[in-house]
Amino acid sequence: MADLNTNLAGIKSPNPFWLASAPPTNSGYQVQRAFEAGWGGAVWKTLGDPILNVSSRFAAVSFNGQRVAGFNNIELITDRPLEVNLKEIYETKKKFPNHAIIASLMVEPKQEKWHEIVKRVEDVGIDGLELNFGCPHGMAERGMGSASGQVPELVEKQTYWTKEAAKTPVIVKLTPNITDITVTAESAVRGGADAVSMINTINSLAGVDINTWNTIPHVGGKGAHGGYCGPAVKPIALNMVAECARNPLINVPISGIGGISNWQDAVEFMLMGATGVQICTAAMHHGFRIVEDMIEGLSNYLDEKGLASVNDLVGKSVARYSDWGELDLNYKIVARINKEVCINCNKCHIACEDTSHQCIDMLQDSNGRPYLRVREDDCVGCNLCSIVCPVDGAIDMVELKSDLPPMTWNERQSAIGLLRQRNTVK
Amino acid sequence: MSDYQEYLAEREQIDLLIGEGYQIEHVTENLSGAFVDFKSKKAGDMKQLHIKTADGRKYFSVILINRNR
Ligand SMILES: Cc1cc2nc3c(=O)[nH]c(=O)nc-3n(C[C@H](O)[C@H](O)[C@H](O)COP(=O)(O)O)c2cc1C
Repeated sequence: MADLNTNLAGIKSPNPFWLASAPPTNSGYQVQRAFEAGWGGAVWKTLGDPILNVSSRFAAVSFNGQRVAGFNNIELITDRPLEVNLKEIYETKKKFPNHAIIASLMVEPKQEKWHEIVKRVEDVGIDGLELNFGCPHGMAERGMGSASGQVPELVEKQTYWTKEAAKTPVIVKLTPNITDITVTAESAVRGGADAVSMINTINSLAGVDINTWNTIPHVGGKGAHGGYCGPAVKPIALNMVAECARNPLINVPISGIGGISNWQDAVEFMLMGATGVQICTAAMHHGFRIVEDMIEGLSNYLDEKGLASVNDLVGKSVARYSDWGELDLNYKIVARINKEVCINCNKCHIACEDTSHQCIDMLQDSNGRPYLRVREDDCVGCNLCSIVCPVDGAIDMVELKSDLPPMTWNERQSAIGLLRQRNTVK
Repeated sequence: MSDYQEYLAEREQIDLLIGEGYQIEHVTENLSGAFVDFKSKKAGDMKQLHIKTADGRKYFSVILINRNR
């Protein structure tokens, strides 16, 4: 059986599955139950000056029968005194010495505030710290969370202050509510971060009730923007992880977070550069025991791939993630419809005819039976037909050998540029 | 004419000029596509093709890159 142990910037964990800082890690009771279920680590619900929460905190977006496709919350950080949390962290660490407990922290952007809280949480034996520069609601209005996480200088400074006092590894948790996450990731690294984690939640309004005209959720008829997470945010999070992983200036481990719901999602994040993953919504939706499937699935996958350790996955797809200008313009795929599998629902024809390149013909065979056929010469290989097709295996996207050599946009433009230069010299 | 047919026609025109010894001398790209000037050393004259299809614009670029290699 493959080795699932991970080591993120010195934080050791029996497997790569950590609970993210959120309601599942609110208390010692919960974290201990999570460890019993098999979670390798837990990032404790963010500690700081205890806050006041509103009632009616969560909302979910369901899509075509899929419940909790996205999850929205307006909850703040812990509402319990620091001493209570520290006592439970201490007890939990004593019971589970080999599991990772990371203290998530959020205080005002002042050096003495960071020094004080770092010292107090490290005294109870945590394995690492995570700086919450991401919470987009409530705390941000007080200059904390994403408000400071959106300012590169503040990210660097607060990381630096933390590092001045910290003896354990410091993970900086980044907000996705920014145009380019690599900017703040670089700031964290400059401040001395031992690792970065991403993503926290994305600014959101889950919906508006079209009968009452209230926001969803609403607090006595009033709403405020929340933070979005769950399966819907996975592609956004994965891109941010990948962008950081391929940036040479961000040369620290990454803890991947955002929409991870199963072992396959975790593998994707690790292939794109994450050393481990954190999960919140999936645990809130299905309970702690989902980790059993995750561990078993990951373990089987590694065995099937002949990999000795989960660490062998980390970053293996990063080099394949590039810029658009480096893609081969002469690579060609086309759609091919398998007549035997196709149910003639015509969804591909409609999609192609109305919204793509009009290259799927509706034909009849000699017996008058309808069938669909792609005019391959006109197909641009956009994938839309195979995306809308409801039947697995009915449409294959197949690679065609091009009679032209590979050529990227960048190569093309520099060749045209060279021509221009030559003409000017003449 | 489908895009593909239009591309084949453009490709044929490009191949014809290259076959006659013309070389790409200048490329102007604008909202209308690409205007490619071909020059023949032998004949000493210039010919211009207006390349409109995406595949056509890829095709002459490949020729240009190959020449630079
Ligand atoms: C209800 C709720 C409360 C959260 N509270 C915190 C928090 O206190 N600190 C923090 O760093 N992130 C917090 N998060 C964000 C999560 O840790 C995580 O970054 C985010 O939910 C994305 O992961 P997911 O898609 O697996 O849920 C919270 C998320 C939810 C849903």
